[in-house]
Amino acid sequence: MAERGCYDRTMALQTAVARRQFLGRQMTGPGVLALAGLLTDTASAGARENSAVNVASATGLPGLPHLIARAKRVIWLTQAGAPSQLDLFDYKPQLRERFNTDLPNSVRGEQRLTGMTAGQQRFPVCPSVFRFGQHGAGGMWLSELLPHTAKIADQICLIRTLHTEAINHDPAMTLLQTGHQLAGRPSLGAWLSYGLGSENANLPAFVVMISRPSGPTNAQPLHERMWGSGFLSPRYQGVRFSPGKDPVLYLSDPPGIIRQRRRGMLDDVAALNRLHGEADADPEIAARLEQYEMAFRMQRSVPELTDLSSESAAVFQAYGPESQKPGSFAANCILARRLVERGVRFVQLYHRGWDQHGSLPSGIRSQCYDTDQPSAALVRDLQQRGLLDETLVIWGGEFGRTVYSQGTLTATDYGRDHHPRCYSIWLAGGGIRGGTVWGETDDFSWNVVRDPVHVHDLNATVLQLLGIQHTALTYRFQGRDYRLTDVHGTMVQGVLA
Amino acid sequence: MQFIAVCVGLFWSTTGHSLRAQQAISFNRDIRPILSNHCFACHGPDAAARKGGLRLDQRDSATQASESGLLAIAPGQIGSSQLITRIHSVDPDLVMPPPETSRALSDAQKSLLERWIAEGAQYQPHWSLVPPQAATVPIVADDRWSRTEIDRFVLAGLRSQQLSPAAPAAPSILLRRLSLDLIGLPPTPAEADAFSRELQEAAKQGAAAEDAVVKRWIDHLFKSPHYGERMAVDWLDAARYADTNGYQVDRDRELWAWRDWVIAAFNRNQPFDQFTIEQLAGDLLPNPTQAQLIATGFHRNHMLNEEGGVIPEEFLAEYCADRVETTAAIWLGQTLTCARCHDHKYDAFTQQDYYGLYAFFHNVNEQGIGNYGAPIRRNAPPFLPLPTPEQTSRRKELEHQLVQLTQKLQAVAVRLQAEQLQWEQQQVASADSLAKLPGDVAAILLKPAADRSPADKQRIVDHQQATDMERKTLVDSEASIKKSLTELEQQTMTTLIMEELPQPRETAILIRGQYAKRGAVVTANTPASLPAMATDLPKNRLGLARWLVSPEHPLTSRVIVNILWQQLFGHGLVRTSEDFGVQGEAPDHPELLDWLAVEFVRSGWDVQHMLRLMASSAVYRQSSVVSDQLQQRDPENRQLARGPRFRLQSEFLRDQALAASGLLVRKIGGPPVKPYHPPGLYEQVTAGSGTNSYVEGKGEDLYRRSIYTYWKRSVPHPAMLLFDSPFREACTLRRSRTNTPLQALNLLNDPTWVEAARLLAGRMLSEAGPDAASQLRHGFRLVLIREPEARELTLLQAGYERVLQEFRAEPAQADELLKVGATRSVESLPVAELAAMTVSAGTLLNLHETVTRE
Repeated sequence: MAERGCYDRTMALQTAVARRQFLGRQMTGPGVLALAGLLTDTASAGARENSAVNVASATGLPGLPHLIARAKRVIWLTQAGAPSQLDLFDYKPQLRERFNTDLPNSVRGEQRLTGMTAGQQRFPVCPSVFRFGQHGAGGMWLSELLPHTAKIADQICLIRTLHTEAINHDPAMTLLQTGHQLAGRPSLGAWLSYGLGSENANLPAFVVMISRPSGPTNAQPLHERMWGSGFLSPRYQGVRFSPGKDPVLYLSDPPGIIRQRRRGMLDDVAALNRLHGEADADPEIAARLEQYEMAFRMQRSVPELTDLSSESAAVFQAYGPESQKPGSFAANCILARRLVERGVRFVQLYHRGWDQHGSLPSGIRSQCYDTDQPSAALVRDLQQRGLLDETLVIWGGEFGRTVYSQGTLTATDYGRDHHPRCYSIWLAGGGIRGGTVWGETDDFSWNVVRDPVHVHDLNATVLQLLGIQHTALTYRFQGRDYRLTDVHGTMVQGVLA
Repeated sequence: MQFIAVCVGLFWSTTGHSLRAQQAISFNRDIRPILSNHCFACHGPDAAARKGGLRLDQRDSATQASESGLLAIAPGQIGSSQLITRIHSVDPDLVMPPPETSRALSDAQKSLLERWIAEGAQYQPHWSLVPPQAATVPIVADDRWSRTEIDRFVLAGLRSQQLSPAAPAAPSILLRRLSLDLIGLPPTPAEADAFSRELQEAAKQGAAAEDAVVKRWIDHLFKSPHYGERMAVDWLDAARYADTNGYQVDRDRELWAWRDWVIAAFNRNQPFDQFTIEQLAGDLLPNPTQAQLIATGFHRNHMLNEEGGVIPEEFLAEYCADRVETTAAIWLGQTLTCARCHDHKYDAFTQQDYYGLYAFFHNVNEQGIGNYGAPIRRNAPPFLPLPTPEQTSRRKELEHQLVQLTQKLQAVAVRLQAEQLQWEQQQVASADSLAKLPGDVAAILLKPAADRSPADKQRIVDHQQATDMERKTLVDSEASIKKSLTELEQQTMTTLIMEELPQPRETAILIRGQYAKRGAVVTANTPASLPAMATDLPKNRLGLARWLVSPEHPLTSRVIVNILWQQLFGHGLVRTSEDFGVQGEAPDHPELLDWLAVEFVRSGWDVQHMLRLMASSAVYRQSSVVSDQLQQRDPENRQLARGPRFRLQSEFLRDQALAASGLLVRKIGGPPVKPYHPPGLYEQVTAGSGTNSYVEGKGEDLYRRSIYTYWKRSVPHPAMLLFDSPFREACTLRRSRTNTPLQALNLLNDPTWVEAARLLAGRMLSEAGPDAASQLRHGFRLVLIREPEARELTLLQAGYERVLQEFRAEPAQADELLKVGATRSVESLPVAELAAMTVSAGTLLNLHETVTRE
């Protein structure tokens, strides 16, 4: 009974509660108990939605977390365009001897190729031009492109066997973010903000930032829906922070409206709304009053948050030369730390420009210049501030790149096409076993040899670290109970501390 | 816990959904939801997922002995029914549903199942698959309230719940409601006064006269060209209309001619069956008109992937699937997506059914990928060019010139041939003329004719032609005309349409929905659980469309009247408007829904007739003010004991502000426009170059109705998104209605709103009397239509005086505020007053009542 049409019903209930809290009216009668019953009814998706927002925003859904949470917050350093695992993380020294030989058909198998290289005459094997070295106590192999990441080798867990089905950017990124290749499902951040709620009443639970590469790279277009809430209420979608005058859309008052004038106007709006609501029990009236107040508070809390002037010189030094440039990946990494300090649940940074179909060696250098130092600095910074234990940091993209060269292969130059069968990402922080490498690929970094991790497995693991059973965080839409991991997903125990 | 459960029962007993202990068990109401939610995933229609060979969604199979001789359901015999034994089992290996599914049954559900089996385990077909029958309209004693049949259904329900209808809404509020619902724009205060006067006059003659007034005003709104715009907004959501292709590249497409077709179709009140047929299959009608071809753009609205590496076959499958699922959602109210990969787990649709529908849409002459290499603004075929009359006559003229030139060139060729010998002689006549020739030509000419090779002869002819002045002029003209024709073609607007392949593609079931894994071949057919297509219908899109709107179809009429009801009442009678399946909600007033569905077909699918019926009902005309008591008893207004109330959707919020301020440009149709936009947004999210930069429009483009705002799928207009517009990537039949702080920031700070407030302030100062009170009253009425109460006016006036003092002290701040927006204010207006009134106007535009349609 409670499952049916619960969305609309609980929307009304939720605003009813807000209104009563706001107007301070007494709640009496059977409705109160009914409400209490609904709010503890974990079978009701809508009731959960209800309590996540206004009733219990600090604690999220009733019954959540299901398990002991190893992490409370997530920073996802999304590398859009697909960084080459072969040049960064997945060391294949044997390839040197196979330079410019054909990728054996036995390895290539049935894997479909993108329209960009499917017509190529040859698939010449292309070893990385970059040197690799061993780092940290466990001797993790990392490319010379990542000198700073190398210094946090003992903090990170490198997964070399992540895989996906999609071979084009949009479907692959959509799958990575929402657990499904087709648009329309909620992103991980939306699921978390729905399930766990917010810890800060003045900031959104899910914040997104997109940085511009410093080099002349081809930035992958993104899509607002990638941080969207799909069929969940739009209130759970990511709020994009951008550099410049309005870190949040429409944040600044118009010219000529100073703060005190805005306050006076809002007081007038509130007084008129209250008058209108005197003889009207519509709970939306009070709910709107509360949203206007939160908007006013955000106008103070967001600029304070995005103003980096209080950061010390040592911080900028640690995050590197780009960190003083607003909108850079480095500056956004500092902001990410400031956001988690304030209890923001999910921070998603996008860094674009990894799609190196040609001139990979120069392109990837530039990308690593942008990301290596700040990413490592962020992990260390969180650690120094005692936040790393409860913050999960994830670094990676939507798929990997091929061992064969796209276009002409020379001794110093090559390109790589999209490769879904295996690629590398790293995790650090809350609940992660640092200094470990998980999974093994074949000599060509083409197939997984041991311990594959599907995107669904990664998402199941992330949810578990946050104390959520991935099979139990569901939402009924069009008659079906949906979840982030669809009907898949297995925990990757080996990466846990 | 038990105590709470009892109270929940009490509370919901007002909703009409509750299980009334004394009532007989109804399979549809009481049992199917339990079985569907808890059992069907493993014991339902999906044969592949079925466990233990047990199927519970059909009585025959559920009551049959299994291989072990046990009966899942023994009608009338609880003790012999394994279903009952298993749901009560304490053994985790035996209990059903299995604990790992997290679908445990409550005690109440278990006892319902027991009662149902004890009473004989009767099944019923799912309600929405039984064709609607015109229910007898209830006769309620002492009914002086009902105005239409709708009211009598609702009143009977209210009486049974000991509820009474609310008082009628005040005329000004009712007219604002009607106007916003039917044309998406507010009325003017003068119209509200006239309406109010007419109602007062009519009241003296009785309720029928009042009805006549209301209906006359409704018809007046139907005649407005803005009616079509308002109706189109929801249809555009359903049809997933956008101005770009979507996916990663997301370049522009041209389909706005289809959007304009929709507006026009609503404006001429095209019967819904024709509306359906032309959009799904206009190209298959005999001698289709241009408009009927444009209408088929409906199923080209899906996204189109232009990314470099896409595999065409994969995306052809996506587009067909999108068409199947969109068609099923809009006309059948069914979510078919599940059946793309396997038989549906809840509803009676098989994978075979899915690909049977898929085959109808699989024959489109399309490529599967975008036209990335082509110039920007080139649609992916098939498309229809839509030249303006000027472009048509220009093309004709150019083609005519081309024909003439060709003739002239032919004549020249004849002449040159005739002159050839003479020409040759002239060339060799003197050393001078010979020296002017290219060396190789001179050498050939000096050879005896018999020694010249065919290549030599051609070389001479070529040179003769190339040096002929008349011919050169003609050739140059020809090239320039061809260039003009190409340019003209590129300038000509086009629109995406449907077009069948001469040789249909073969359709196969795609195993697990994967494009490259073809299973059994299927032919076009409609789902087996629905009435079959008439034998005289062709098995193509046209036959499908005619089948959807055949009078005996159980779903289409119900689904569409439900969407119309949702438009006027904020929610459908079936609240899950896109899902009339077993997991969707049951209708709140099933008899009313069926009565409306039958009436819709009887009226000849007359949309305006249905809207008139609904909007002139006493139910609709009630006040939406809610008492504490009613709010507690029926928080969602399922019983309709008060008028509907909801926040305006994004388009009409902005349109209302533009209308009140006088900024609105009322031009209908045309290419999309680009109003104010936060700077740098595209640059952040998209690649930020070419079509990915937003160039704000100028002049009237800033003030067109929001339906014309350029819709980029990857970055829809942010203000629209903030107010719950969908991305338009897939069919959407109802939007959320959130209430968030980001919305407040938008209404307070977006230049759209600040400028509207400034222009509204200008109207207040210049159109009303000299005193602030009458100016504020004027503004109040322009926005809210009703008269302000004295207390409201006092508050507004105090605010105005306060801000006026501030701006007098800080005139520079007043100047700054008045610079927001592209229009200039009337210069004669005093700056401090105008700035202060702008703040007051902003106050009005931000009121809860303003953003709500009460």
